[in-house]
Amino acid sequence: MEFIGYFGEVFQPVSFMLLLIGTIGGLILGATPGLSPTMAVALLIPFTFQLEAAQGLILLGAAYTSTVAGGAVSAILLKIPGAPANIATTLDGHTMAKQGRGAEALQLSFLASAVGGVFGVFLLIFLTPVLAQWALAFGPSHLFWLAILGVTVIGTLDSNSVVKGLLSGCIGMWLATIGFDDIMGAQRFIFHPELSGGINIIPALIGLFAIPQVLTMFARGREPSGAEVLAVQRHPIRKAIGETLRRYKSLILGTGIGSFIGLIPGVGGQIAGLVAYDQARKFSSERRKFGTGHSEGVIAAESANNAMVGPSLVPLLTLSVPGSPTAAVLLGGLLIHGIFPGSDLFDNHPDVAWTFINSMLVGQILMCIFGLYVAGLAARVAQVPQSVMAALVLGLAVFGSYSVQNSMGDVYVMAALGVGMYFLERFGFAAAPLVLGLILGPIAEANFIQGSMIADATTGRLTYFFGGALNLALIGIVLASVIYSAWMEIRQRRIDRKDEEALA
Amino acid sequence: MKKLLAGLATALLTLTAPAMAQDYPDRPLMMMVSYGAGGATDFQARIVTMTAGNEDALGQPIAIVNKPGAGGRVGWNWLATQADADGYTLGAYNVPHFIAQSIEGGVEYSTDSFEPIANWGADPAVFVVGADSEFDTMEDVVNWAKENPGKLTFSGAGLFVGHHIAALQLEKAAGVKLAYIPNNKGGAGAMKAVIAGEVMGGVNNLSDAFRAREAGNVKILGVFDLDRSDFLPDVPTMAEQGFDIDNASVNFRGVMVPKGTPQEVIDVLAEKVPAMFENDRVKGKMKAGGSPMHVMTRDEVIEMWQARQATLEELLAGL
Amino acid sequence: MSRWQHVVPSGIVAAVGIWVCWISYTQQPAQAFLFPRLISTVFVVLALWTFGKAVLGWSRVGDGISRRIFINIAPGLLVLLIYVFWAARALGFYTAGTLAFFILLSLYDPAPHSEAKSWIKRAAITLGFLGVMYGLFAGVLNVFTPREVLFQ
Repeated sequence: MEFIGYFGEVFQPVSFMLLLIGTIGGLILGATPGLSPTMAVALLIPFTFQLEAAQGLILLGAAYTSTVAGGAVSAILLKIPGAPANIATTLDGHTMAKQGRGAEALQLSFLASAVGGVFGVFLLIFLTPVLAQWALAFGPSHLFWLAILGVTVIGTLDSNSVVKGLLSGCIGMWLATIGFDDIMGAQRFIFHPELSGGINIIPALIGLFAIPQVLTMFARGREPSGAEVLAVQRHPIRKAIGETLRRYKSLILGTGIGSFIGLIPGVGGQIAGLVAYDQARKFSSERRKFGTGHSEGVIAAESANNAMVGPSLVPLLTLSVPGSPTAAVLLGGLLIHGIFPGSDLFDNHPDVAWTFINSMLVGQILMCIFGLYVAGLAARVAQVPQSVMAALVLGLAVFGSYSVQNSMGDVYVMAALGVGMYFLERFGFAAAPLVLGLILGPIAEANFIQGSMIADATTGRLTYFFGGALNLALIGIVLASVIYSAWMEIRQRRIDRKDEEALA
Repeated sequence: MKKLLAGLATALLTLTAPAMAQDYPDRPLMMMVSYGAGGATDFQARIVTMTAGNEDALGQPIAIVNKPGAGGRVGWNWLATQADADGYTLGAYNVPHFIAQSIEGGVEYSTDSFEPIANWGADPAVFVVGADSEFDTMEDVVNWAKENPGKLTFSGAGLFVGHHIAALQLEKAAGVKLAYIPNNKGGAGAMKAVIAGEVMGGVNNLSDAFRAREAGNVKILGVFDLDRSDFLPDVPTMAEQGFDIDNASVNFRGVMVPKGTPQEVIDVLAEKVPAMFENDRVKGKMKAGGSPMHVMTRDEVIEMWQARQATLEELLAGL
Repeated sequence: MSRWQHVVPSGIVAAVGIWVCWISYTQQPAQAFLFPRLISTVFVVLALWTFGKAVLGWSRVGDGISRRIFINIAPGLLVLLIYVFWAARALGFYTAGTLAFFILLSLYDPAPHSEAKSWIKRAAITLGFLGVMYGLFAGVLNVFTPREVLFQ
């Protein structure tokens, strides 16, 4: 309960100002395509040079929490996920926005984010020592199985054809192998010098989602004005709160999965949203509504990706091991002030540690309030005429993907993948499984190779990958997930056939 | 028309060329770091460049741009082949990494592709084991490895980086076969593998190991350097423990520019950048972060690069 | 939609798959290509399956590209490709971005091309876009874009 004593620090005028700036600035940065939370936090580090340690961390903590949530804004309104964490949000969120329910989708996403986020921070506060051991328990073999668990999601994600879904996933995994391989340093598939850096996930994400959007808008041609000015429905916050509570099942699933996956170093928040989305769909009674603008999809995805914020910092704060890229940047922010994470942090600088954690807690709430306040206004983006929107999204995509690492190659990759994806989408391929392949491929490969190297020197591959309770548990989950999907697919076909017979 | 254009071009050139040397730099500079945000190189690069905007330094800020991937190869390839050699594009180097990679081959750079400006830090490699490990000295480690050849797993940041060089030196000096496991998440990932007990030991950066020891997670058994470190006065060097290992794996970090950068610009940078590193605020922040500093001028770095090139060629020839 | 429309994209995907597979099994070092071999094998099997289905006319998913869609997309796609692959570097980011924005707006904005008013409106929106982009990326984020012609 030590943390309560340090709330006073957060509400000091200067600190609170920084918290506000961090939250609002973070939302705006998060909503900008190309600026992932890691980038946003890295950009803010120089500002903390001038501040005291605790104040600097307030700024960083608030920015971290709100950029993750801010990514949902562009995911919902523009169908450009701000970070890999927001991919799942596009599936239902953007569909809702297209139906004029953008305000509702944004409200739900902010509420779910806040619930998940607060829960995640509480985990960080109360269970840190226990969780730290958990986080370390995941070695290469476990991460490999976890990646395979992600792969099992691929086939059923946002595609009407399982084969084309899997094929999209394979294309994604192949694209991820382009460039120098991370362990051996061998060159693979570098057929153009701009590709030697490999395919960076953020520009790929922007291209795969934004460019098909732009081309779809082009495809409508010069529509006469007023033909499709969408009425943006107002949505009272009271109703959004009611809806969030009514969908408690998805909320709990999302929060739970998000905090669990967020804890594991190396996998992090990238797949939390997608796995939570998939599980929420499997457990939902309204399974078929997913992907058509269903509130559960938004709630599960967004609660998961914010729930991962707190736990993702556990390995950093207790063991001084950054578990995610963002945690690594935060480590820099701490070191600059001469503070070493680990026991030193909590023993000798409790004011800094707890003020930082509290600021994330208060930041979640501020982010939610501010987000709800602007949701109605932001949803009006849907009313921007198609022509302006197409040109705007294209401009943002080019600038956003360039700014990731000041590289023209990233812009070329973004455009090439995007144009290709548009044509593939017209023939039943889907972007979400492709991106999932792009994310999971390297995790599966690196951990498989590292695991085999360790196994070859020690116990042998079979015992290494299939031995131990955690490996077996993960394999069990993978099998359960596959069998359950197959069973649902068969049952669904039977129902469809009955429907057809009934119609006939 | 052609004449007019040519005249215009010469006019523009004469306008900009002399202005370059005098006013340089007249806009912000960019420094490429070939490792991800949050890594030791990135973190130190951000600190040592933070005073660049001061009037007594360059008078213009330096922005850090990360181009991570494949142990630094991606970023250095970019700097050698694609970066503008206009003096506004700098790069951070890590020796022995980029030299070892250029000897191994498959990359488009070598020491001839770059012009060093100044060195800011020297981070020796150290040998770490988990806090609850049975090993207390390097002798324990080597004895175990002699009884179980090829079975002692230990992690490092990748292939052909400082950690790998240190590992090769250890194998050679102790005459044992070890299982080096390169990590795809750099030094932080390699350290996590040690703390979590995935591997029996590891080679890691002194600065990171120092921090991990403060947190009570690891024991540090030896330093791959000629002298003990100020940060770890109680940890003996490898030579003290009877292994013939020099400082070839020490990770030198500094600033360079691509070949072809105007000589006047190099002169300006070579004069002002070392002074910028000597700033008290920079020194304070580096010390607080546990990062050992070692400022060297352009001439010293040129010499150091040549020496490393020779040692590494010899060491890697046996592979 | 004709069956042949499905054949073309799935044929391209299958060709890429075979190419990837061939490279994976022939390139060295073998250890670095272990994972690509695994993926590319699955890739090829699935791609050939899809291709076979397309040839037989069993592909049902996806709407294909109609003639009207193609005609609508073509000019915009051309602008996009020129903008990204040539203009952005040759003319500088802001100049190229502004030009592309204005051209796309002129191409797809339904307001009549004969009225001066609609042109003024387009120019105003373009300037607004330029202002926001410059403020955000050059002002706030300090991004170094390829700069020529304008915005030295």
